[in-house]
Amino acid sequence: MTREQIRKAEGAAALTLSTLSALLGLFWLVFILGDVLVQGLQALTPTLFLNDPAPAGAEGGGLRHAFVGQLLITFFASLIGVPVGVLGGTFLAEYARGRRIARIISILSDIVVSVPSIVIGTFVYAVLVKPVGHFNGWAGAVALAIIMIPVVLRTTEDMLSLVPWELREAAFALGAPYYKVIIQVVYRGAATGILTGILLSIARVAGETAPLLFTSFNNSFFSVDMSHPIASLTATIFQYATGPYKTWHAQAWAASFVITVFILLLTILGRLIIRWRYK
Amino acid sequence: MAVTVKRNPGDIIFFSLTAVASCTIIVFIVGIVFVLLTESSLAIQKFGVIQFLTSTEWDPVKETFGALTSIYGTIVTTALSLLIAIPVALGIAIFITEVAPNFLRAPIGIAIELLAAIPSIIYGMWGLFTLSPLMGNTVEPFLKKATASIPLVSVLFQGTPMGIDVLTASVILSIMIIPFTASIARDAFNLTPAVVKESAYALGTTKWEVVKNIVIPYSKLGVFGGILFSLGRALGETMAVAFVLGNNHRIFTSLFDSAATITVTLANEFTEADKDIYLSSLFYLALVLFVMSFVFLAIAKFFLLRAERRYSR
Amino acid sequence: MRKFFKIAAILACVVSFSPAQAAEKLNGAGASFPYPVYSAWAFDYHKATGVQLNYQSIGSGGGIRQITERTVDFGASDAPLTPDALAKAKLLQFPAVIGGVVPVVNIAGVKPGEMRLDAEASAKIFLGEIKYWDDGKIRALNPKLKLAHTEITVVHRSDGSGTTAVFTEYLNAVSPDWKAKVGSGTAVKWPVGIGGKGNEGVANYVQRTANSIGYVEFAYAEQNKLTYTLLKNAAGTYVTPSFAAFEDAADTGTFDPKNHFYLWLVNAPGKDSWPIAGATFILLAQEKMDANRKVVKFYDWAFKNGDAKAKELVYVPLPKSLKDKIRAYWKANGAQ
Repeated sequence: MTREQIRKAEGAAALTLSTLSALLGLFWLVFILGDVLVQGLQALTPTLFLNDPAPAGAEGGGLRHAFVGQLLITFFASLIGVPVGVLGGTFLAEYARGRRIARIISILSDIVVSVPSIVIGTFVYAVLVKPVGHFNGWAGAVALAIIMIPVVLRTTEDMLSLVPWELREAAFALGAPYYKVIIQVVYRGAATGILTGILLSIARVAGETAPLLFTSFNNSFFSVDMSHPIASLTATIFQYATGPYKTWHAQAWAASFVITVFILLLTILGRLIIRWRYK
Repeated sequence: MAVTVKRNPGDIIFFSLTAVASCTIIVFIVGIVFVLLTESSLAIQKFGVIQFLTSTEWDPVKETFGALTSIYGTIVTTALSLLIAIPVALGIAIFITEVAPNFLRAPIGIAIELLAAIPSIIYGMWGLFTLSPLMGNTVEPFLKKATASIPLVSVLFQGTPMGIDVLTASVILSIMIIPFTASIARDAFNLTPAVVKESAYALGTTKWEVVKNIVIPYSKLGVFGGILFSLGRALGETMAVAFVLGNNHRIFTSLFDSAATITVTLANEFTEADKDIYLSSLFYLALVLFVMSFVFLAIAKFFLLRAERRYSR
Repeated sequence: MRKFFKIAAILACVVSFSPAQAAEKLNGAGASFPYPVYSAWAFDYHKATGVQLNYQSIGSGGGIRQITERTVDFGASDAPLTPDALAKAKLLQFPAVIGGVVPVVNIAGVKPGEMRLDAEASAKIFLGEIKYWDDGKIRALNPKLKLAHTEITVVHRSDGSGTTAVFTEYLNAVSPDWKAKVGSGTAVKWPVGIGGKGNEGVANYVQRTANSIGYVEFAYAEQNKLTYTLLKNAAGTYVTPSFAAFEDAADTGTFDPKNHFYLWLVNAPGKDSWPIAGATFILLAQEKMDANRKVVKFYDWAFKNGDAKAKELVYVPLPKSLKDKIRAYWKANGAQ
């Protein structure tokens, strides 16, 4: 073989390998999603959403309690996490723009995003469960909010930085104070971007299990009382999947299906908004 | 570009609000360290630091606790999963940035990111019901047979293949971190200036040579940071491995052994611990995990920032 | 955006004030072994009275700690607490239902109830001292079985569990060697073997691994048709695990209210007693009078109406004499 041929062959081999690895990545995605889809759809019935659980091992129960509990926890986590995250991001991108403190907080949030969520669970247990005297839904919401805040904060910071500085100057020239400029001009310019960040952060926390195990705990009854243990889909999946009953396994698959579809839709929606807005 | 805030009451209020909100991040970190330290003080006093980190004794009956088995399990599963994930992730990144036709790049990029969005409990359940029987019945017996005659290597594949072991857990972990590593590597590759690549092509280099000699050297800091970041993620992953690792405190040598990681120990034993010293030791483990992942993530961030600063100018 | 927050604020108010008119609630947590029967009782109780009793199976260790920290209304444990421990944590304790632990094996050609084991053999297997199924000791117990020279794989629980507590308490009672080397508890340092999470984890491993032995709750072995073994009890009989054998163990044990019913039913002396039986216990906080009354009301109801359901789920209801003792104990402690 000539040198030329060797080079070509080496290139072809390497590029084939890289194509294969991309296919492998896609293969896992299809494998996992397909499995969740097939197994989940089999167990998906209207009663799953309408009924509360039947006693262990019996047929016919549903997961209404877990769906409602999950929505409540996620909702209140967003209610805490979104404002704090957006305001925090505003500080970094506006008042503290270019300052050292903004840089430090920004780096720290990137790290906090990836801190093991089970550690956050133990932290919230010590702070909000032990002193109160019982597991409660608020603790679960706070644990998820802690995971959410850095995500929202960082996207907000990035999105606000993308708003052209001239826009603010134009508003200053009209005599507007900075806070009015931020709320009425800058937020408007970055709204879609921030919304995307919020959607993605909700997608991130909606599937969290580890921090809920020691905080909102679980509940086998329908309950909307956030000051007591409350069911969540993810904790229920953990319990049902490791349980001994076939009906539990089927419901765990169905619940996984619902939660996966929900999260993937949010993620895709977020990506679509970015493409549509910033292209 | 910083603006000096005028003494406008509205601004003062809004400024304080946002400042407080952004400081929550610092409060979390300080709070976590403080609370974990307080809660684990009992165990720290009893076992000290060195003894706790180096003892393999995890015996709830005798109430002596050492973290080494959990740390060992964490490190081995993480290392193994990185070993599987890195080549695949780099391959994917090369495919997306250099090989794929333009119309395929975005969809594949999104598909990989969807893989990252699937919650870890789904990975865990899928691992328990689908992957573990597959590994236990097909893959692992095959590996055992294939390596039986190779000295040293066969030690890694000793014992009865059951699918609930270090190998299965590492495979699931690797599937989980592939998308993180791939997307960070892709971003790093994309930082290579097009001009440099084009000049190389003009000199008659092949695509692979451009990747090997230009893109990778250019982006190695970013890729390294990405790998460390995935490492930080893998260290702290709980649900994906909790189902398939078996929570067994011992120093294992075979990949078919069940094992424990720090996260799996916490998930299995946190609500179980009945004695104060037991619970305190679990908080101590959580503290060790927090410090480990924080350090790795901080180093990762350092490299990623260096990479950005160097090439984004 | 602003509208969103307004709606959210209203919703928040509604949700946080709704508990005032919500149904009566009780929270309990602990042992996973009685979970199916408690949740079935709770389901029927809810239908009958409207009271919600939320029981979460987090394991006995967890149950003890949660009630000690007062994070639940009642705790549940398969391991009884000693009177001293109860006094220290200011707790009350009474048994609720009885079950048993059975060894299960997976050996080619061996059917349920064919393998015979005695105390010494079980202890030595779980200590790792008997390594092969054709060991002389096992062969002597099973002259009719054809046992090959295959290595024994021991399967145990990886999580803390009352099942482990009962099983190791049994080994403790019958083997001084075991007591010295390992001891008993909800989680112990196992000399040999692999760990599976929960009864299902152990069953899963045993079914998948040839020549293995593990231990699971009787209800679990029964429902999943596992290969249980016979055990030689203290009276020298080889017993099949069954309702009758557990009831016999419960009858020969004397629960004493003065000791808060502290009793391990292992190695019971009765002629037909299954040697690894155990009651599972409910723990109450002494000072939480209000909650205690409600919990006691539930168990009083269950003692009256729940026996059939318990049997259906393969649990042994308490004998009537014991129920009466428990009712007297409740009265004496102001819970009824």
